Amino acid sequence: MKYQSQLVAKPYFIAAIGLFIGQIIFGLIMGLQYVIGDFLFPEIPFNVARMVHTNLLIVWLLFGFMGSAYYMIPEESETELYSPKLALALFWIFLVAGALTIVGYLAVPYARLAEMTGNDLLPTMGREFLEQPTITKIGIVVVCLGFLFNLGMTVLKGRKTSVSLVLMTGLVGLALLFLFSFYNPTNLVLDKFFWWYVVHLWVEGVWELILGAILAFVLIKTTGVDREVIEKWLYVIIAMTLITGILGTGHHYYWIGAPEYWQLIGSVFSALEPIPFFMMTVFAFNMVNKRRRDHPNRAAVLWALGTAVMAFLGAGVWGFLHTLAPVNFYTHGSQITAAHGHMAFYGAYVMIVLTMISYTMPMMRGRAAANSLKSQVVEMWAFWLMTVSMVFITLFLTGAGILQVYLQRYSDAPQAFMVVQEKVELFYWMREYAGLVFLTGLLLYVVSFFIGGKEHAEQRA
Amino acid sequence: MATEITPTGGKRLAIAAEALYLANLLVLPLLAFLLLWWLYSRQGASAPPLAAAHLQQSVVASLWAGLLLIPLPLLTLILSGGSLTGWTVAILWFVTCHAALVLAGALGLARAMAGKPWRYPLIGGGKS
Repeated sequence: MKYQSQLVAKPYFIAAIGLFIGQIIFGLIMGLQYVIGDFLFPEIPFNVARMVHTNLLIVWLLFGFMGSAYYMIPEESETELYSPKLALALFWIFLVAGALTIVGYLAVPYARLAEMTGNDLLPTMGREFLEQPTITKIGIVVVCLGFLFNLGMTVLKGRKTSVSLVLMTGLVGLALLFLFSFYNPTNLVLDKFFWWYVVHLWVEGVWELILGAILAFVLIKTTGVDREVIEKWLYVIIAMTLITGILGTGHHYYWIGAPEYWQLIGSVFSALEPIPFFMMTVFAFNMVNKRRRDHPNRAAVLWALGTAVMAFLGAGVWGFLHTLAPVNFYTHGSQITAAHGHMAFYGAYVMIVLTMISYTMPMMRGRAAANSLKSQVVEMWAFWLMTVSMVFITLFLTGAGILQVYLQRYSDAPQAFMVVQEKVELFYWMREYAGLVFLTGLLLYVVSFFIGGKEHAEQRA
Repeated sequence: MATEITPTGGKRLAIAAEALYLANLLVLPLLAFLLLWWLYSRQGASAPPLAAAHLQQSVVASLWAGLLLIPLPLLTLILSGGSLTGWTVAILWFVTCHAALVLAGALGLARAMAGKPWRYPLIGGGKS
């Protein structure tokens, strides 16, 4: 670790992993509720479990991105962080606000929570992924402003690199687009437009910039390939991301009451959206193939390569599967969407944060570059358990989705939603078992950090 | 990962072979394969080792891709009598298989760009 202030990333990563475990537990609860409808009812109704599952995902990924940025920016800028104290203060504010919000979801009915937090003064609640009380949203904005100020001042006083520029663009975009969550028009079509400006332009826009920058940073550090080569790839990837992703938002406008031309625009541009992910796969493997050294942290390299592959499969392939308007007419909002969502989030964003944690944690815990070989073997087991089980979760949900679409929407005698849900129960059980394997992998990942031993040394200079 | 010392001559041809394999799967089915076949029959024997290996692997993998993606799902549908289970299995098979083949092609392209040989897992036959 080159700069002492990079250490502020550590609490962010620890909180991220803690919240990740919570997210998976709620995912398992919800998975069980798919097949045992009254499981934990009325204590944790399905809608609440779902809200906690998705909100925890967003919050822990944000912790992960922030931790990654606090680690990367000082190193890229070749200077200490502007204010480590501000970073730590914002960490506690964000953690307490996030925890209180989750407790609020679980402790009181959602409508009561809206009432208690003064939603009527500035109504922003009630929309998927943006369920947070307005006061929490304001807190997120404050944290983001402080975070960007801290990073911005660090970049300004130090070296400016393409990696930090792309990362900062992604983070500023993330913060700016979140502001649309404060606009909640009564016109539902308009509301959906602005809602997608947050949700879509995050995950298929600016978050991909953050992903690209983190991947580039880790590859520079672990492969020893010239920064210039990696930066050229990064520029092309982010250009393709924005070219395809911005108008690709159109695939969300098909059936919300927007003009029909969106079906063409959305289909064409979102069909191109796999390209940056495909390039990312070629990029990552190409850099590792051209590596000038074998980095001792083999687990981190495995995570980096896994990110490229799984992001391509989850976001690229499974996204394309149902993105064309004539296909989406039938598949919209079915389990096929859930299959895509699971693999895309895991492949693109969960894995890149875990890559960064895997790369940085050994150094933040006092090692030169890597954990012991024994620890890395356990971590690589965790990688495979989580990744393979996520592939199966995706396949089972895809199977459920195909059946659902056919029985509920395509057949000559379409059946009711709940009737069909019973018919695809087998897939839901199999998804639940795969989810348990995923949790096992995640727990192994945590365990791997507590396995001591002599540091694994670099093999080849 | 082991250190490899590999021939780098014929890198452009190797990249072209892998790119055509991918184009056959993604944008120009059949047409890209015909181009790949033409390239293989014209230059396969005289190409530098790296290019020859990539050409041979791309052609073999394309033939396997054709077999895995067209007759097998069709057979599944015919044998199942077009039942719902048959469709589910056939679609899942096609999507998974196609994604895996594209992924293998992406890795092949990355290897070609790095001037290294590549053997398609399972379908690539003996060591190239």
